[in-house]
Amino acid sequence: MESSYRKGLEKIARQMILIHRADIVIKLVLRTIVRDLKVRHAGIFIYDKEREAYIAKVSRGNAGFKIPSGFVKIKKDNPIINYFTAKRFPFCGDYILTDTVEKLIRSVKLKNDAKAQEFLDGLRVNLDFYQARACVPGFFRKELVGVLFLGEKNNGDQFSPKDLSFLSTLASDIVMAIKNAWLFEDLSRQVDVNKRLFLQMISAFVSSIEAKDKYTRGHTERVMAYALNIAEKLKKRGELSNRAKFVDDLRTAALLHDIGKIGIPEHILNKPDVLSAEERGVIQEHPAIGENILKNVDELDMVRLGVKFHHERCDGLGYPSGLHGEEIPLIASVIGLADAYDAMTSDRPYRRALSRDEAIAEIKRNKGKQFAPSVVDAFLDYIQEANK
Amino acid sequence: MSRKVLVVDDEQEIVDFMERFLIRKGISVVKAGNGDIAVEICKKEMPDCVFLDIQLPGKDGIDTLIELKQINPLIKVIMITGKDDLSFKEKAAQAGALDYITKPLDLSELNQKIQTYILNV
Repeated sequence: MESSYRKGLEKIARQMILIHRADIVIKLVLRTIVRDLKVRHAGIFIYDKEREAYIAKVSRGNAGFKIPSGFVKIKKDNPIINYFTAKRFPFCGDYILTDTVEKLIRSVKLKNDAKAQEFLDGLRVNLDFYQARACVPGFFRKELVGVLFLGEKNNGDQFSPKDLSFLSTLASDIVMAIKNAWLFEDLSRQVDVNKRLFLQMISAFVSSIEAKDKYTRGHTERVMAYALNIAEKLKKRGELSNRAKFVDDLRTAALLHDIGKIGIPEHILNKPDVLSAEERGVIQEHPAIGENILKNVDELDMVRLGVKFHHERCDGLGYPSGLHGEEIPLIASVIGLADAYDAMTSDRPYRRALSRDEAIAEIKRNKGKQFAPSVVDAFLDYIQEANK
Repeated sequence: MSRKVLVVDDEQEIVDFMERFLIRKGISVVKAGNGDIAVEICKKEMPDCVFLDIQLPGKDGIDTLIELKQINPLIKVIMITGKDDLSFKEKAAQAGALDYITKPLDLSELNQKIQTYILNV
């Protein structure tokens, strides 16, 4: 019996990632119990941290015996739980057998022990609610994680010591699976928190650029939107590998592309006239300053490339490094085009915004000169679709 | 006198579980899977008491409650509610529900309500 269960479990464990699927392990265990121990019904109550109670999770058995999942709870002060956790009486052992409880109630030794009698009565009533003949606890260290409830055996037999040791094995397998699942949930919750925190930090950075450079206001958000739309089309054209990471990095890089402007004097950033050659030189330092700001953040390797090279040009006439064509990282080319398009279609004190069509014509004219051809094509796909 | 209780829930397993719980206390049980059937059964069988799920498909628990009370103003209705059904609970009380019990149920509490409203009358 135990060996066939073991084999069954191993087979299933091989087929799945145990850590994510406590429910599958629990179902397997309950199926095994009902089939191999031949009980009328079996169910498990699992501790729910939010409700601070044990909730009926999975149950198998005949109609009326089966405890509907989520329908019933057992509070922490219930005698069945207390039996395992408080162990107030010497008769509290490693499992509960209803027959033993009945015997104890009738026993001469406990006849005058009012407290024991009261406890045993409560126990009997609660066992009867679930028509349980045996309860087996599942502990993780000292924490009671769940309780197995077993109904009567089909042939009316008692549970043997061998049955009970087998059930303890099953209960600890369930506990391990649940513990793993809880751990996994906690981890993914932590990852979500970190991700949110990260994006909030990035937003704070963006606000600090926008506070300084009034032309940047709204620009960052638009550049990000254009860049993500271009990426979507690149994906459709099959020109992206590792898409999820590329898109995450692109989002961050688009948000941070002008972070280096923090290091540029305000009177140059906000100058209402056309810039002198010297001033332009200062402004053109912003990609390198941005790269420097992000230099020590290992996780942002790709993002840094996007920030550093978003003013490079295909023909090698860009800055800061004068890279040519394929030398320019794709992430930087995408941001570069999104940035240029938004700049062209926005008013500046010294020139009026181009119309959308004029800007698109300008981009087409500069395909292969300023802009990477594949990125221009993806951009045109996006514009065409947006025009529909 | 034998008591008769109507159990109304759209989940068959819950109805079956409640039925067995009540039968073992010597209570006879009639069952309904939705509000319309509950109303029909109430007319025919005249139960003393009803366990009524507040969230039913189609005619909801409150509307069913109102109709049951029209058929038999003395009928004792105990609503079975979810955790966040606070506004429903108020509506149910206004519509004449005697009491409610919240899912997931503590069977000691259910047992006590059965004693109070059905067995000790």
